[in-house]
Amino acid sequence: MNNILEKLKKIDRRIIYFLVFLSIIIPLLPGFDFLIFPVPPTKETRAIFDEVEKLNEGDVVFIDWAFDPSSKAELLPMFEAFFKHCMKKKVRVFIYYASINGINLGKESVKKMTALEEFSWCREGENYINMEYIPITADIRIFNMDVDFKGTYKKEGKIFEGVETLKDINYILGLSGSVYHQTHIDMQIRFNYKFGLAVTAVMGPDYVPFLQTGQLTGLANGLRGAAEYERLVSDKYENNYYGSATKGMSSLTFSHLVIFGFVIMGNIVYFMDKKKRG
Amino acid sequence: MDFNALLDNIFLNDIFVTWVPVLATVMVMSFLYKDNPLYKIGENIFIGVSLGYMWILMWQYTIKPFFIMPVQDMFVEFHFWDITYIIWFLLALTMFFRFSRKKAWVANYYFGFLFGYTAGYYIPIAVQNILLQSTNLMKPMNQGSFFETTKWIVIIFGTFAALMYFFFSKPHKGVLGKTARVGIVIMMIFFGAAFGSTVMGRVSLFIDRALLLVDFPMQSIVCTIGVIIYLIIYFKFFKKEEKVIDDESFI
Repeated sequence: MNNILEKLKKIDRRIIYFLVFLSIIIPLLPGFDFLIFPVPPTKETRAIFDEVEKLNEGDVVFIDWAFDPSSKAELLPMFEAFFKHCMKKKVRVFIYYASINGINLGKESVKKMTALEEFSWCREGENYINMEYIPITADIRIFNMDVDFKGTYKKEGKIFEGVETLKDINYILGLSGSVYHQTHIDMQIRFNYKFGLAVTAVMGPDYVPFLQTGQLTGLANGLRGAAEYERLVSDKYENNYYGSATKGMSSLTFSHLVIFGFVIMGNIVYFMDKKKRG
Repeated sequence: MDFNALLDNIFLNDIFVTWVPVLATVMVMSFLYKDNPLYKIGENIFIGVSLGYMWILMWQYTIKPFFIMPVQDMFVEFHFWDITYIIWFLLALTMFFRFSRKKAWVANYYFGFLFGYTAGYYIPIAVQNILLQSTNLMKPMNQGSFFETTKWIVIIFGTFAALMYFFFSKPHKGVLGKTARVGIVIMMIFFGAAFGSTVMGRVSLFIDRALLLVDFPMQSIVCTIGVIIYLIIYFKFFKKEEKVIDDESFI
């Protein structure tokens, strides 16, 4: 017993890494699809979905893309699921890049989505538009209702028909891995727009208080939030749509089980060792 | 063939865009075994490429459209308000005075403007935000479900208890001590939730890399074998083990 205790105390960290690695990689391998399971949506994520569901064809959704490739793992699946949902609803999508490093990632992602056969009818400047990057002070212009929205950005494009100011935008979704959208949440009090947020898991707990005040209409938290949104889109529009987030969730679950196992084991070993020493 | 096309052919062909990300991922992951030159190379390439990429984007999306082009347009058709571009440019240039010890104060004008502008812009909204958050807590207790009512009690008492933990004017004994104890438990629950989310986020980052490795199995296997062979040769023949190694310190 003492021998086992000593071995467990001095377990090589690389064994732990290797087991976590296996728990992540195995559910993603071909042939292990049975390990993928849909995630039940929370009411916070469902709130974003419901807001988009309420929209009519031709309504305007504004996506504020404020993340770069370092947060891609958690936020890109959410963007893809949300964009897919918007296209299914045939609403007009404006994508504004607040992160300079995210522009090419966003454009590539949109290109990939619109290359799908089901969205072959989508046209840039008609159904969606990449509004490029504007330096940080543009925040004021976006939230200033007196400024002509068309005049500030591209003038061409059918997509701008009837979109003059912030009032004409029906829903805003922010995607960020930082506190960037705090300004938008604060501004919501003044301009009363509908604002949902998809953030990285690290930032999630910080934004929960804004749900109860209505400053946020919904919150998708990390990879799990994206998987929930994929599930909602899948249930409503197409069965068995599993994006990268749903695939990743099974990896996340198994890796968490391994981590839990080691935490529990570490505690048992600690207390046994303490008892032994008296 | 022009230079841009040549670059595109080198960097945007299938071989490059599949092998390089996989190799870079495996190189950086080799750190999990031990610090080694492959990891250092991967790390330095990452930093160099990120900075270079950032510079190009900054030029393309900020300096060129918001300064160079408007100034060029000034020479075609001049408006009085175009002067502002020059003013902002000169104000931005004052930042370089930071490099001088004697003239560093010049940069304070820029910071003075920036802080004044930000404070004026943000303070009224922040006050509104705090008021909204506070008033939202003040709801009738007898309305809503049992869960709703208990939630408010936990929030209000939890906030109070956590604040009491930082109240050092009296010794933490008696009622104050017990309240402070509850406060630290409340804070630990928050830190636990935040830490759990952080772990989830970090694992998610690795899942993204794992998806890449699974998408290119052949490249992943070849690169992994290559890196393992390199590590064996390096640690067997080139790198001498240091005598004092405290493995527990890494855990």
